[in-house]
Amino acid sequence: MEINALFILWIISGLFIVFESRLYRIIIYFGIFSLISSVVYLFLGAPDVAMAEAGISAFTTVFFIIFVGKYYGNQTNITREKIEINQFFRKLKGITLPFVFCAGLFALYIYTMPDTAASTYLKEWYLSNFISDVGGKNAVTAILLAYRVYDTLFEALILVVSVVAVVHMSHFSDSSVSDGHHSEIENSGMAVFTLRIICPIIVLFGGYLVVNGHISAGGGFQGGLAVATFFICRYMVYNIYDISVKRVMQLEELIFLSIILLSIIAVFLGAAALLPTAYLPMFQRAYLILMNVFIGLKVACGFFILFYRYIAFERR
Amino acid sequence: MIFRYLEVFSIIMFFICIFGLITCNNIVKSIIFALMMQTAVIMFWLTIGRGSIPPIIDNTALLDNTSYIADPLPQALMLTAIIIGISVTAVIITMLNTLFRKHLMTDWKAMEKAEDEAFKESLYGDHLKD
Repeated sequence: MEINALFILWIISGLFIVFESRLYRIIIYFGIFSLISSVVYLFLGAPDVAMAEAGISAFTTVFFIIFVGKYYGNQTNITREKIEINQFFRKLKGITLPFVFCAGLFALYIYTMPDTAASTYLKEWYLSNFISDVGGKNAVTAILLAYRVYDTLFEALILVVSVVAVVHMSHFSDSSVSDGHHSEIENSGMAVFTLRIICPIIVLFGGYLVVNGHISAGGGFQGGLAVATFFICRYMVYNIYDISVKRVMQLEELIFLSIILLSIIAVFLGAAALLPTAYLPMFQRAYLILMNVFIGLKVACGFFILFYRYIAFERR
Repeated sequence: MIFRYLEVFSIIMFFICIFGLITCNNIVKSIIFALMMQTAVIMFWLTIGRGSIPPIIDNTALLDNTSYIADPLPQALMLTAIIIGISVTAVIITMLNTLFRKHLMTDWKAMEKAEDEAFKESLYGDHLKD
């Protein structure tokens, strides 16, 4: 029954966003929405997805806050216009028609909703075979890194492409700030003191998630997000742009290449068949851990570049 | 009995987001509604494959009755979807920033008007000067 209450809270937080017009508040409500959805994922039995959603929503909120902060800095006087009676009816019409449209589609879904539960054949097959096929204890990691490794490769490729696109579509043509350039933000001493204590714990947590991804909840992506958060904290403490973006991009592409090579050797060519069966569990464990470490490093590099671009270029 | 039809909630959320997308004027708000629609779809998939035990098997006795274990396949697919979503969002915000630099506004209709005027000027600008 708790999950019904959580779902109702989730929908209420979504409605808050619909009926709000101030951008700062919308972004804060979006953070609340993501938090509630992350908790619901946990209740539905998906801790990996819950962790990923929590990390992602933190980054999305930061990106939007950076953008909207500039928006409010440039636009000073936002005055509300008086609504005349003619305009009022036009607005009512503009709201009623979409509402009827959406309600009709929802009613159609309810009318045609299937009465039988979904087939569980694939689920049982994956759950009973993944321990002998792939190794590890986490079925989600097994599917991500072995059964559907093709998906993971393209997902990693899309992250690389998006980083390149963010650098090249930007308003600013220069690729990096001069090394050792200080930003103009002033930090409060309290925040710096707290971050200095928290930073090592964040790195430890990220490393734990990456290395233990195959036997517990977590994995390369979630751990990589935590490690990227460390770089954000580092920027907040020292207030300095001293890491070359070009180098990090080269590192990211190198790691992406090694992910492709590793998956080709281990999965597509089937290197495990050449080994004697006694070494098979060790090989499987080594493959899962190495793959998780590579994916974690790649995600950390990618999100570090994205954050750096936003804080150093897009904000100006 | 109520627990069985949990996926209705995510469908409601999806249509709330479509309603918001149709009625809002602000570009930032539109992007946020698109992200929320993605979250609703992810919620739908996870609700279909839900279970009280996460798919982390450290004891093979658990496999005797798999009806309590959550389905691992939707979770893996949705993890991929989340990562692609944030990648695309980062690109979208950069493009929006470039547009914002040009016109100093984030309103759909006003932006369309300004873009039209800029386009007309680029077409007939030289002619008007003569």
